[in-house]
Amino acid sequence: MNGNRSAVAMFAAALSFFSPCTAPAAEGVPPKAQACIVCHGPDGNSAAPAMPSLAGQPAQFISMELFLFRQGDRKDPQMSPIAANLSNADMNELAAYFTKQRPAAPSHKTAPENAAAGPKLAQQFNCVQCHGPALLGQQHIPRLAGQQHQYLLTQLRGFKTHTRADFDGNMTSAAELLSEKDIEILADYLSGLTPSRD
Amino acid sequence: MIAAPFRPFISLASALVCVLITNAAQAQAPAAPPSWQQGRSTEQEKSTLHPFAIEVTGKSAKQLPVDKLKVPDGFKVEVWVEGLPGARSMALGSKGTVFVGTRQLKDVYAVVDRGGKREVKTLLKGLDSPNGVVFSRGTLYVAERHRITRYDGIESRLDNPPEAKVVVDGLDPQQQPGHFWKFLALGPDGKLYYNVGAPGNIVMPAYFQAGISRVDPKTGIIENYAQGVRNSVGFDWHPQTKQLWFGNHGRDWLGDESPNDTLHVATRKGQHFGYPYCHQGDTLDPEFGKNRSCSEFAPPALKLGAHIAPIGMRFYTGKMFPAEYQNNIFIAFRGSWNRTIKQGYNVTRVSFDADGKPKMEPFLTGFLTDDKADPPMWGRPNDVMVMRDGSLLVSDDQNGIIYRVSYATK
Repeated sequence: MNGNRSAVAMFAAALSFFSPCTAPAAEGVPPKAQACIVCHGPDGNSAAPAMPSLAGQPAQFISMELFLFRQGDRKDPQMSPIAANLSNADMNELAAYFTKQRPAAPSHKTAPENAAAGPKLAQQFNCVQCHGPALLGQQHIPRLAGQQHQYLLTQLRGFKTHTRADFDGNMTSAAELLSEKDIEILADYLSGLTPSRD
Repeated sequence: MIAAPFRPFISLASALVCVLITNAAQAQAPAAPPSWQQGRSTEQEKSTLHPFAIEVTGKSAKQLPVDKLKVPDGFKVEVWVEGLPGARSMALGSKGTVFVGTRQLKDVYAVVDRGGKREVKTLLKGLDSPNGVVFSRGTLYVAERHRITRYDGIESRLDNPPEAKVVVDGLDPQQQPGHFWKFLALGPDGKLYYNVGAPGNIVMPAYFQAGISRVDPKTGIIENYAQGVRNSVGFDWHPQTKQLWFGNHGRDWLGDESPNDTLHVATRKGQHFGYPYCHQGDTLDPEFGKNRSCSEFAPPALKLGAHIAPIGMRFYTGKMFPAEYQNNIFIAFRGSWNRTIKQGYNVTRVSFDADGKPKMEPFLTGFLTDDKADPPMWGRPNDVMVMRDGSLLVSDDQNGIIYRVSYATK
């Protein structure tokens, strides 16, 4: 296990060199999460548009995605090798840490026309049925409000082209109905949404 | 019901391969709606009811309110083993190994008990929804989505299992979107019985679907045994009459109270139990029931509750529980999700009066914590199995835990 962990740490160091992720090791973050925070931010709030925020995500969502990466169903050049070395207990521990972090206010600013069109599409395409009325996620379903813009675009396009694995087929089916324009509006709207239960 | 909630990863993976291969030549086929949504009315498309996903990495009992579990006076419930994500059907080896199948993972586990210390081995990996497990005469049989296989001499090869030998293949020629996972049990006739569920919530099944079939492991010959069964993922034979008793999942999206899931008895081969025409023995389907009558079909022995999702069921033949439990049925209710007010999430005892009429009462409860919450429960009983000492094991696939219920005379 220690060998795995130091391998993860080395991989994280390599990533920070080659990738846009540059967050340094942070105090108060569990050792297993050090590799995560390089890209996802010390408190799970990503500063990189292509990297998802994990803060306040449902724990079951985080552990399930790590599981899908380890199984090879979900693939990513950076995530796949990291997840390959994680045990179920590691995944649950990481999920427990990041779900407790407070989501930051979004840096993304939604275009005014999409602020009006976005909520209508979220209703029309049943986003709110599963992700919840405030789009904060539940169980294995992720928080979308305030998520990184580029990440949302990539995921929605991936579901639509059947290149992004999902556990139950629900998103693959839901994204089938979205046009590229819908995807752009939804990503712009969701990313600018303040993740708040108030 | 628990119906058809989740496609296994493999289907997505194979769909992906298909897409990649055919992409250049033609546009991808559109993804169908998930089969649990099939049969919704237009208004129901805005429903927030949804099946619940299991914890694919499992959960430790330490994180769960296992102290909330309740059994009748004199009984005791405890965590027997944990660390088996997705644990479903159980089978008992002659040397005491407990084999455990999964539906949404790809693994079959073996639990070895060494003087009260239990070790979980991931025995088989990379299978396609290996839900059904049977142990007989040294051989482990596994029912996957599409085939039934055998692993001979398995208990002496737990760290080095042999290659699978195929008993029968081609059981899912249509890659059906729903109810493709199979329960497996060995009949008193030495044949292996398995379900082929309806391919959707409420659809016209093909002749080999929506029923219980059997295969002779010696010859590989298959026969339909029972028809008109939407999905049965638990069955057993009465210890005295040797008749097949089975649970059945009723259709979804007909409301909180309709139809009931049901308990049936098959008195002979070839009976039709109603699906998709008639539900719970007395309710014609709004679409498929036209010009039909429920009297055409064998009625259920007992209505279990709407959307309650009976999974594993076994007759109690052990010596540990009080005498009145002898030849009672224990059934695990894994639902409900398709109700606004949830019910179930318990192990129920079915006993019989002097006339043989069944009645039921909850036996192991406490998984359901808030019937209006989403999710309403913290665990889901899935299969039940009587151990040689007469105790009852209960698997929980939500968390990957097996509990043990025992009885102590005072």
